[in-house]
Amino acid sequence: MDSNEPMLLLSSRIGQIGDLGLDLLWRFIHIVVSLCHIVSGITEAIQSYAISLGLIQKYTSIDIEKLRCLAVVVDIEVARDVSKVVELLQWLTTIGVKQVGLFDSQGLLKKSKDMILEMVPGSMLLQETGEKDISPDRKGVAIEFISSSDNKEAVVKAANILLQRHLKSSHPENDDEGENVFTETHLNEALRVVGENVHVPDLMLVYGPVRSHLGFPAWRLRYTEIVHMGSLKYMRYGSLLKAIHKFTGVRQNYGV
Amino acid sequence: MNTREEVGEFSKLFNGFMTLMRRFIFKVLCVGPIPNHISFIMDGNRRFAKKHNLQDLDAGHRAGFVSVTHVLQYCQEIGVPYVTLYAFGHDNFRREPEEVKCVMDLMLEKIELTIDQAISGNLNNLKVIFIGDLNMLNERLKAAAQRLMEVTEENRGLMVVVCVAYSTSHEIVHAIRESCVKKCGDGDSPQVLEVSDIEECMYTSIVPDPALVIRTGGRDRLSNFMTWQTSKSLLHTTVALWPELGLWHLVWAILKFQRMQNYLQKKQKLD
Repeated sequence: MDSNEPMLLLSSRIGQIGDLGLDLLWRFIHIVVSLCHIVSGITEAIQSYAISLGLIQKYTSIDIEKLRCLAVVVDIEVARDVSKVVELLQWLTTIGVKQVGLFDSQGLLKKSKDMILEMVPGSMLLQETGEKDISPDRKGVAIEFISSSDNKEAVVKAANILLQRHLKSSHPENDDEGENVFTETHLNEALRVVGENVHVPDLMLVYGPVRSHLGFPAWRLRYTEIVHMGSLKYMRYGSLLKAIHKFTGVRQNYGV
Repeated sequence: MNTREEVGEFSKLFNGFMTLMRRFIFKVLCVGPIPNHISFIMDGNRRFAKKHNLQDLDAGHRAGFVSVTHVLQYCQEIGVPYVTLYAFGHDNFRREPEEVKCVMDLMLEKIELTIDQAISGNLNNLKVIFIGDLNMLNERLKAAAQRLMEVTEENRGLMVVVCVAYSTSHEIVHAIRESCVKKCGDGDSPQVLEVSDIEECMYTSIVPDPALVIRTGGRDRLSNFMTWQTSKSLLHTTVALWPELGLWHLVWAILKFQRMQNYLQKKQKLD
């Protein structure tokens, strides 16, 4: 037994050294990955400035008609800086975007909507415009303020409407299941009844550390192109143009 | 030894060396946090077939299946407990009938092959579950899928969830229908639905929400896949087509996840 102890100690020490070696290697790999991201960020910044200055020909004209509805997802911590959001909306108005769905999960932007609408020239609340007003000739941007309460909670409210309809239309005593109220069309209708917009954004720009939709209404996200723009604090006009331009070249097949 | 035997020996040694290298890479990767659940949107099979001038209608999808086996092996070796594969969407049924039939026949062939492997104990303890509107499948395919789920039910290794005839919009409507029927049947409880009632009835209720979603083929959309479940997920796109997805693509995605892990955990705590 005694002769085993030094062996056990030795193998334990070797194991610890091995773990330390793996740990150092893992940290080294992450340093290399971070350096790659820094280099890519610098390249992106240079390209963005070149686009802003009009030096890259292909970004000087954008077929904005293809972008009917844009969603902008903003990280909650960054959303506290409303002035950056206002600046972004002003850029989007300049580019010619007609409809913007502004989302942050906690609804902070919803609470600041009056201030935002006041500070963005020509902007109006989407509900005020109504769908028929969104024409190419209309000036200014229609803004919709969205939060997590418009996601799962809204679907539940709509589901309860469908439940009540189902209870009213079915007659268990006659084995009659009643009208089938459980279709996508009926759910769309019920969501409109609870005040939700059901239009699917064509493009979603995510301003935050990570490419994640952060709880944007799931029902509306089906074929939306999701682009990560980085932090709102360091947003660039050139990157915005590039993202919208890239979208206009996308071919949607909707699963077919 | 003649040349063929030498080549065979060299090939064995080389494969052995590559396996060791791979296991070492995974050991280093596992120093950091590993995603609990990875979902794959397997896009690009048709483009792969076009790129390589493969004539058969199912050629790209056959190449895609090879990729599936590699990816599942890697995920198992890394220690990922749940993997979801977006195999065939609800909207994909609108493709040309010949192509749909081809894909269904290929799925049947591969499921039957997997059943044989499971029965002979060569499936590495994988548990396979099919989710989606399985009534849209033909009877033979549906029965095969059911059989594969039965033979792997007791397995406790990597859980592989295969989404067939799936879309989030259909899943939500289906979950609402099921939860309404449940509520109607339960006379004692109030006739009001909660989020938990609907989530319990979703196809994906058997797995946790994905931590990482990887889409191949370079497209930036979710294509009606798990949009309900991915509010805290890192969405990663790679330009590699699905049959081209390799070890390094997976390692890169997981490294990205590890870089963002603190932020993703903070977001979960906040909610």
